[in-house]
Amino acid sequence: MNKELYAFITGKHHHIWRKDYCGPDAAAWKKAGLTPRERMADRFVKLCEQEDPCLLPGQKLAFIRTVKNLPDVLTEEEWTDIRAKHHIHELGYLSNLSPDYATVMGTGLLKAKETADPCTAKEIDALIGLAARYREAALKAGDTAMADVLAHVPAYGARTFREALQMLRILHWSVWAEGEYHNTLGRFDLYMKPYFERDIQAGTLTREEAYELICDFFLDCNIDSDLYPGIQQGDNGQSMMLGGIDKDGNSVYSDLSVLCLRASGEIRLIDPKINLRVSKDTPLEVFKEGSRLTAAGLGFPQYSNDDIVIPGLEKLGYAHEDAVNYAVAACWEFIIPRTGADIANIGALSFPKVIDKAFKKITFCETMEDFWAEVEAVIKAELDEMTAAIGDVWFIPAPFMDLLADSEDISRGGRYNNFGFHGTGVACAADALAAVEKYLFTEKLRTAEEYLAAVENDYREDTELLSLLRNRAPKMGQNTGAPEKWAKKLLHTFASLLEGRKNCRGGCYRAGTGTAMYYLWHSDELGASPDGRRKGEPLGTNYSASLFSKLDGPVSIVDSFTSPDLTETVNGGPLTLEFQQKMFDAPDGVDKVAHLVRYFIRKGGHQLQLNAVSRDTLLDAQEHPEKYPHLIVRVWGWSAYFVELDKCYQDQVLRRQEYVL
Amino acid sequence: MTNVIFHTGVIFDIKEFALHDGPGVRTTVFFKGCPLRCVWCHNPEGLSPKLQLMTKESSCKKCGSCAVSCSHEECQPFGRCIYACPDALISVCGREMTCDELFDRLMKDAGFLRESEGGITFSGGEPLMQPEFLAKMLDRLREADIHTAIETCGYARPEIFREIAGKTDLVIMDLKLADEELHRKYTGVSNRWILENAAWLKESGKAHIFRTPLIPGITDTEENLAAIKAIIGDSEHELLPYNELAGAKYPMLGETYRYDQMKGSVL
Ligand code: SF4
Ligand code: SF4
Repeated sequence: MNKELYAFITGKHHHIWRKDYCGPDAAAWKKAGLTPRERMADRFVKLCEQEDPCLLPGQKLAFIRTVKNLPDVLTEEEWTDIRAKHHIHELGYLSNLSPDYATVMGTGLLKAKETADPCTAKEIDALIGLAARYREAALKAGDTAMADVLAHVPAYGARTFREALQMLRILHWSVWAEGEYHNTLGRFDLYMKPYFERDIQAGTLTREEAYELICDFFLDCNIDSDLYPGIQQGDNGQSMMLGGIDKDGNSVYSDLSVLCLRASGEIRLIDPKINLRVSKDTPLEVFKEGSRLTAAGLGFPQYSNDDIVIPGLEKLGYAHEDAVNYAVAACWEFIIPRTGADIANIGALSFPKVIDKAFKKITFCETMEDFWAEVEAVIKAELDEMTAAIGDVWFIPAPFMDLLADSEDISRGGRYNNFGFHGTGVACAADALAAVEKYLFTEKLRTAEEYLAAVENDYREDTELLSLLRNRAPKMGQNTGAPEKWAKKLLHTFASLLEGRKNCRGGCYRAGTGTAMYYLWHSDELGASPDGRRKGEPLGTNYSASLFSKLDGPVSIVDSFTSPDLTETVNGGPLTLEFQQKMFDAPDGVDKVAHLVRYFIRKGGHQLQLNAVSRDTLLDAQEHPEKYPHLIVRVWGWSAYFVELDKCYQDQVLRRQEYVL
Repeated sequence: MTNVIFHTGVIFDIKEFALHDGPGVRTTVFFKGCPLRCVWCHNPEGLSPKLQLMTKESSCKKCGSCAVSCSHEECQPFGRCIYACPDALISVCGREMTCDELFDRLMKDAGFLRESEGGITFSGGEPLMQPEFLAKMLDRLREADIHTAIETCGYARPEIFREIAGKTDLVIMDLKLADEELHRKYTGVSNRWILENAAWLKESGKAHIFRTPLIPGITDTEENLAAIKAIIGDSEHELLPYNELAGAKYPMLGETYRYDQMKGSVL
């Protein structure tokens, strides 16, 4: 890795070049009568014109952002108007897509311009103009190699690995600059492989040079990331997918993938976020390479299982050639590069809330079947409400993103326009169902009235039941079979009650096991739950055990959480396992973790995230943030600098630490 | 002893994914009860063969709600009600399991343990304190073709020690102090059986590892380590560094950590 560049970026020395946008804003554009599409193009052009070409020390790939903010393209009144007519998702700009960089990388922007609409064409011209100014800057700095690269890309198609990386950097920079967010990097080792192999075979690139270039590119992903919108710092969605298979079924994992995993482990910064596609046939060596990266403590790689995800996507209607090409959106939601215009995080079903509502009717239930029928009815009602609430989705057009998609106007949809719902707190709900079945209907330790009163009182009057529930009742993660049976039913019901529903864009709905920020929101609005979770106690993140359950270890956890049919929940949402850092110091620690990951995949898990952390480090970081500016933790689908998180998120990470394996 | 006792054991924990208790990934079963009382012991809940109360002392508000007389059978030995705590801070440490129960539980991990060339390790406390139960478990796991190991302090009648060693694949045995007087002083018992078992083990042809915990000022002295070396000869020997957090669990059992108190005098 280029240490100078690393020090420059992490020292934030480039921040001094930053300046405010100056130019037309929404009011001016409105006055001029520009459409939203024209405004997007104009804003992009103005931004490119204002950008100062700046080169960082030793940097081999150019392009950074110096204009730090962008004005909204619509005025407040316009937004109010639009919101009245349309469903606006998050910020209203496109997000969480997997752009197709490969095609334009091969043809160049001038070729792409031939078929582009006027707005896109304007943006292309502006971008080529900015690249020319970067070229001059490179020449002035005496960097002829960079100048040569910029003489060719982005105007023309890339011919070498370095040109391809430079092109990628520019295209990725551009979608951010246009105003889309959570812009992912897609299947890097798939689309970069032809350039890499050609250069290596031709002898024009050594493995070491390739590694250095990859390090540069990875470092570059961290230059502007603080300018990119997200819920918390680090939540910028620059995820990268490695491995998996190509459309002919051949393994994509290659030496290039290895270099990427190693580069990520050496750099140890939060971007890009590495995902790794594996299957039951993946060689153990791949899992070992992945575990070495896990040991670096970044929370990468996140694994996804081709054996589950591909058939799952096909079940939802994705064509085989698209399903095998899946990548991951900002956190974990599976998305297809180029053809997918899915909104993978449009809402969330809170399973604990479902149980909460159904449990209010427990006194009318004579059998467990009656109670389950209530639960099903609530799930259906929730889904009815959630789907009805999403009418006529509208996004701000994205002329540049159109270039990287197979749609004339990707803001109006692409080949796939499916909506994804997270499913939060499955473990809490499954534990609750198992507890109700056992203590109310089988052992009859409490009457329905008593149980309901206990929950409504936050168990203050019935400490005996509380103790029983917290210390003795079977929990997800223990693999006793009882809660697992209910988890299967809950997820299956979630998925099958979504089946057949059409969304406003003609797509379907996808069920998932993710939590995202919902894990904090949902626990705040809830009282105590029938599994012994008390009021205000948080839920586990994603697809994970309840925080207070007593677990024997990761083998049971894996067995437990892989028992449902996860091909039904391919909106994604990983099981999270946290390991103490020191475990990786044990002889063969890395190999043993590799075995565990492969076991998870072979058991039919869909997605897995592993963290290596030490609680002492985190506590010390809370006390002395200045000592740990680069301490990275995984928060939900992304990693972040611990000291930059709000205290409530820090506490949540710490609370999880009490249950490390 | 009644026959029933042979078929049930008292354990205090099962930990999966143990990386230090034998080859590959192991599931470790902790037997409750130990004949020694090492002053540095970091597993206070493994000492008594009986079930014990565990309280999360750090969160306990000393409200006294648990100090009531109740009619739960399981609470009678403790004089406190384990169900009365409004924050569910009290739990019972230790559970009785039948041979079948424990075997079924362990076999759940079998697929993974085989795949990672690991197995099951019986630790404690002292597993040899429940020899019939242990023997039965080892036999059943051998039939199921699962690799087993025991971690023992070596304090057992030589016939028992040899019988158990014959049933397991690996014996990991502690040798703490070579001098009999010092052994008595710091562990409460003579080391005669231990030395006899070690001598036998060394020559037995059974796969084995000796371990010595390095307790500052007690076992890590030059004389002691040299004497231990002389006893074990060429056998594999691991030295385990002392963990500063070793005493952390004592307060939960309402006990004090003797090593902390002694430190001043020995060091
Ligand atoms: S009831 Fe709970 S909080 Fe109160 S004294 Fe007993 S253990 Fe402590
Ligand atoms: S032999 Fe082990 S379990 Fe027994 S007292 Fe000594 S250290 Fe504790």
